[in-house]
Amino acid sequence: MRTPFAEKLEQRGVSRRDFLKFCGLMAATLGLPAGSGRALAQSLEAAVRPPIVWLEFQDCTADSESFLREPTLINLLFDSLSLDYHETLMAPSGAQAEKSRLDTIRDYAGQYICVVEGSIPTADGGVYAMIGGRTALSIAQETCSNALATIAVGNCAWDGGIAAAAPNPTGAKGVGGALPGLSPLINLPGCPMNVVNLTATIVYFLANGQWPERDSLGRPRFAYGEEIHEECPRHHHYEAERFVLAWGDQGHRNGWCLFRMGCKGPRTRHNCWQVKWNGGTNWPIGAGHGCIGCAAPNFWDNLSPFYTALTDD
Amino acid sequence: MPKIFMPLVINNPQPSQRIVIDPLTRIEGHLRLEAQVENGQVAEAWSAAMMFRGLEIILKGRDPRDAWVFTQRICGV
Repeated sequence: MRTPFAEKLEQRGVSRRDFLKFCGLMAATLGLPAGSGRALAQSLEAAVRPPIVWLEFQDCTADSESFLREPTLINLLFDSLSLDYHETLMAPSGAQAEKSRLDTIRDYAGQYICVVEGSIPTADGGVYAMIGGRTALSIAQETCSNALATIAVGNCAWDGGIAAAAPNPTGAKGVGGALPGLSPLINLPGCPMNVVNLTATIVYFLANGQWPERDSLGRPRFAYGEEIHEECPRHHHYEAERFVLAWGDQGHRNGWCLFRMGCKGPRTRHNCWQVKWNGGTNWPIGAGHGCIGCAAPNFWDNLSPFYTALTDD
Repeated sequence: MPKIFMPLVINNPQPSQRIVIDPLTRIEGHLRLEAQVENGQVAEAWSAAMMFRGLEIILKGRDPRDAWVFTQRICGV
């Protein structure tokens, strides 16, 4: 039987098979038992889709890029979610752009999802990020406090990221730091965040009516529960003490452990060994470079220099 | 708190008008454009980047081998 949702997907050239494959990927990412993809598909078909307001502050747009690099996921989920405000993607400019944001806040109060990309500068009255004559902080306060939920994508929106690296010239903070007590706030760190995790977080909400379980740092456990080092496909080389000692040496060509080259996998919790990047093509360690720890707290200061080996694991 | 540079939108009737577009969308970053319009012609125009992180300051004193990781984050597009 063809549902209105299936018809909508078909109009955009997405087959039922693509949709079920997508649900399978989501179920696997969320760590749901085998065979739950079909149940997920049923819940998604019936779910009410909230609008999204996507705020960019002190950012490099890499989280938006990460999001846009997965056209299949976006077709399946975000075309039917309405993206009401996204500075890089929306048609209106200037006052009309701000009107789109304010209209959504007013018409969908408490019903829209606010995605925040980039840090919020707090030094010198917030002058280091101004949009439409207003500070990032005041826009975040207004938009996040009226949202159904706020999702902080990327490290900058989580803990201030690169702008907050020493000496943090602009007083940059993440959403949680700039707006204490904001709830619910879901943090999806990573530099950039992985779109599979953003999609899975929203899919989980649409299917269950609540947000996935999070750790003490506000990160969903399904994506940040495991240490990269423990799950690394090169971990057996670490155990056997087979290390890369120089770029291009025989060990490097053999795909041995990158610990001695400065890999920060032992300090980083993220599922990028599982979901990978660029449509599941590869990930840093798979490409022969150590992990820089981009999903770890304050990694720009805590885990640099990036090419110096950790002193313990 | 330092004074914020914030030219006003002057809603003078034609022939002289100041137009402000902020934010300018569909670009990476936060851009503000202003134009002074005289008799239907743009007489002067200004652009301003409205976001600053201070990456040059942050890079000082770090391991030079890490520089690419930092500077790559100037723009993710």
